[in-house]
Formats: sequence, C-alpha cells, structure tokens
Amino acid sequence: MASKVRTSTKTRKAQIGAVGATRGLSLFSTPALGWFVFFTIGPLLAMFYISLLNWRSLIGESSFTGISNYEKVFTSDVFYAALINTAIQLGFMIPIMIPLAFMVGYYLTLKPRGHRVLRVIMFTPGLISISATAMVFYAALGPTGLLNALLDVIGISGTPWLASQDTALASIIGIGIWQGVGYTAVLFAARLESIPKELFEAAKLDGASEWRIMWRIAFPVSLDFVGTITMLQFLWTLFASAGLILLLTRGGPGFSTTTLSLLIYQKAFFENDLGYSQAVGVILFFIGLIGMLVIRRSIRANY
Amino acid sequence: MRTMNLGKLASGSLVWAYAALLALPIYFLLTSSLKANTAIFNDPFGLPTEWLFKNYANAWERAVMGQALINSLIVSAAAEIITLALVLPAAYGLARSRSKLAVAFERIFALGFLIPAFATLVPILLLSIQLGLFRTREFLTLFMVATTLPLSIILLTQFMRTIPAELEESAMVDGLSRLRILWHIYIPLSLPGIAMIVILNFLAYWNEFLFSLVLLGSNAETRTIQVALPTLIDQTKTEFGPLLAGTVITLIPVYVLYIILNKRLEGALTAGAIKG
Repeated sequence: MASKVRTSTKTRKAQIGAVGATRGLSLFSTPALGWFVFFTIGPLLAMFYISLLNWRSLIGESSFTGISNYEKVFTSDVFYAALINTAIQLGFMIPIMIPLAFMVGYYLTLKPRGHRVLRVIMFTPGLISISATAMVFYAALGPTGLLNALLDVIGISGTPWLASQDTALASIIGIGIWQGVGYTAVLFAARLESIPKELFEAAKLDGASEWRIMWRIAFPVSLDFVGTITMLQFLWTLFASAGLILLLTRGGPGFSTTTLSLLIYQKAFFENDLGYSQAVGVILFFIGLIGMLVIRRSIRANY
Repeated sequence: MRTMNLGKLASGSLVWAYAALLALPIYFLLTSSLKANTAIFNDPFGLPTEWLFKNYANAWERAVMGQALINSLIVSAAAEIITLALVLPAAYGLARSRSKLAVAFERIFALGFLIPAFATLVPILLLSIQLGLFRTREFLTLFMVATTLPLSIILLTQFMRTIPAELEESAMVDGLSRLRILWHIYIPLSLPGIAMIVILNFLAYWNEFLFSLVLLGSNAETRTIQVALPTLIDQTKTEFGPLLAGTVITLIPVYVLYIILNKRLEGALTAGAIKG
C-alpha cells in the first residue's frame, strides 16, 4: 500500500492519466449498469421475443408462432386507425409546440415586466402528474365543464369534447400542447440565457427588430438544442400518450383516440393478446428510432 | 422604433394570453374543489359562494388517500435512497476513470436515456410475476429506480467532473481508499448536483402513473396516490368537487417542494433536459 502511494506521488501527472490507475474505477458503475440492464435492456429484448409468441393470458401458456402476430397487426383496421391517429397527434403537436415554445422562451429572456410570475405559471404544467392533468381536463372539457361555459358566454353552443368522435383527438392534442409549451419554453429560456449577450447587442445596434434577432440569430445559434428538445418531445408524445388517453377516453369514441401507445396497453390488458401488443411495441420502437434519426439529421446546426 | 414596440406589445399579449390559458384551469381546479356540482356547472368562473371544505374530507375518505399518500411516500423515499446508492459510486467512477470501459458505460447510459420506459411495460409486468413480486410496492420501487438511472448518472457525472482532480490526488497520497474519497470529498462537494437529481427523481417517482397502475393495481392497501385519484371518477355521476379536491391533495407535496426550492427546482428540471 505504502509503496503504491509513493509511486503515485512520483509520477503523479502520468499516473492519473494512465489507464492503469483508474481501471478499478469503472467497476464503481457496474451495479448501476447491471440494474439498468436488468430492468430496461432485458425487458426491451423480451418485447421482441414476446412479439413472436401466441400468448393469450398473463397467467396462461404461450407458444411460438413466428411472425403471425405481425401479420395480424398489419391486417387489422385498428392498427391503421392508431397509426393515423399517432401521425395526426405528432403532426400537430410538434410543429405547433416547438416554435411556440421557442418564441415564449425568447420572450422570457427579454425579462419583460412580470417575467418571474410568467416563469412560475409556465412551469406549472411540468410539475403536475398525468392523472392530475387528466382529472382537471375531465372536469373542464365535460359537457357542463369550463370550456363549454366559456363558449356559452360568447354565444357558441359547446359539445362534449372528450365524448365526441370529432373532437376527442383534438382535445387530447390540445391538452398535450397546453402541457408542453410552457415547460419547453422555460427550457429554451434557460438555454438562450447561456448565449453570450454580445451576439445580440451588435444586431440591436444595427436596429434589427427582436423578431429578426430571435429567428435570425437566437434560433440558428441554438439549433442543436432545438433538435434535442424536438427529439425528446417526439419520443414523449409517441410513447407516453397512453396514460392520459387511458384516463380520459380509453381510446374512444370508436377508435378516434386510439394511438399506437394506447393500442399496446389495450391489447395487453383489455384483450389479453400479449403477442399482438408487443408486435405493436416493436413497430413503435422502430418508428421511434427512425423518427429520432430523421429529426437529428434535419435539425442540425450548419455552421 | 415604433414597430419594435408594437412587436413587443403583440408578443407580450400573446405570451400573457397563453399564461392565462395555463392559469385558468388551475384557477378552475382550486375554486371548483370547494364547490358542489350545481355551482361548478352554473358558475364555473366565480368564487365559491359556499366553501365546501367537506369535499376534501369526502375525497380523502372515498379514495382512501391517507394510505395512498403513505404508499407514495414510501415508494418515492425508498427509490430515492436506492438510486443514490447506485448513482453516487457510478458517477464518481465515470467522472474519474479514463478507461475505454468507462467511456462505453457512459455511452450506454446516454443512449439508455432515450429508451422510453413505456416500451417495457408488458415485459416488466411479466418480470414482476416471474419474480413473485407482482402487486408489491417493492417491485415498483426497484423498477422506478432503473428508469431514473441514466439521467441521474449523466448529470452527476458531469457535475463531478468539475471537481478538481488535484483534490483526489492529494487524498490518495494520504492513503485514502477510493470509497473514502467518494464519501469524504466527492459527496460533500457534489451536494448541489445531488440535490438536483433528488428533486428531479422525486417528481418522477411521485408523478408516476402507468406503471403504478399496472404493477400495483387498484388495491387500496398498496396503490399510490396517482392511482387512487382517478377512482374518484364515477361512471354514472361524478361529483366534481371531491374529484378536484382529491387532485389538489395529490399536488400539495409537489407544490410545497416548489415553494421551498423554487430556484433549485427550476434549475434541476432545466438541467435535466439541457444536459440530457
């Protein structure tokens, strides 16, 4: 022990950099890695395997059926309905949420009057759980809820937003945007504040408007970050919509709010078809992967 | 100059309009939690004329919220402790090791951060049955720890990298073991970073819904607060007052935390996304 210590004092600089001196250290992270592999990577691989099984009950027997679950998925109407709903959900949420959040975030960095209060309000939806959000909107969007009362004031007759085929998916999307913009805006604000002020000063002296500065300077400079946030929002929307939908509409009326992520839940727990459910899981996984790569490629700083 | 002010005015009113859109449901939540159904329907914007605090007692009793709060607290606290026990040495190891192995580990966690937990819902349920831990708070705890490991490790590793390596070198000269260095030098110096991940993870554990539902079910003895809350919906005739009172109850711990740790909590949540 003592001699070891002495050598490390002598050749201190070289030793610290050397692999030998720190090899044991990576072992410090093996328990965490093992834990993560056991509870995440393992189950993820299991999903691929289960998608090849005929498994009709959680406690029942299963048998290998090859790709027949995939055939079933690709020939079922509900899958295509869910695919379209998911596409609509993503197609509206991401393009609305990201630019809106960026603008709000930029506005916050200008430190307008009341920006502290604004920040707190913007932050609020980020703290609230899915079930609390769902309960608030269950009450607010009900036939006799807040929104219809508001519409009543301006003389428009409302509708049961969550129970009507025409408005249910739009309501789900609206809640997603409601929840997402504020929180994302605070993230953008935090990022924009880390950009050196000098970058904007010159443009300001030249008389450029805030609008120009926002899109011509602030946006390109933080494009990488915008890409990351877009990717995270994409993944979050794609995978995590099941909770909110389960609580508010259970995928209905009809299939009008059945997204792919809800379909996974529905097939596994309402219809006891684990093979089908996990086949959709595998498809969703690849959609997520491809979408991520596309977003990474298309939103990238080009300087 | 004039257009600039106009633009500012326009964007300002837009932002405040959005803020109102955010605040309105919260106002509706708070006021309605003290009203009866008829008052909610007839006058959704007004303050309650009769303050029905009994809505809270009603929700508390009907959803067995006392037990649910205890369950959520137990699960969250246990998950916090296990997470720290795993994350502290892991982050220290990754922050200071220069081996290829450590680089590979770090990359696994960085990629793992992108795997949505939801993808593993069904296999995780099957795993809990296999292990004989179905419907136990223990399994939910162990599982939730895994979901927060990648981000916690990424954030804390970055934090620990900012601690000067010279401190460690001189400690090693004094003959301190790695574990003692971690305990006596790294943990005290990383307290802000540790606080950040504790806050971030508390929100994740406290607000978790879908896995809690699937793994614990709706048994009033073991269910968490997030699963207890929706049971206040009645398929035939929901009483909105108690439902929203129950919602407020689930939010109290989070807001208490927010009020105490305002700045730090914002920092934690933004860092979580920026560095992840």
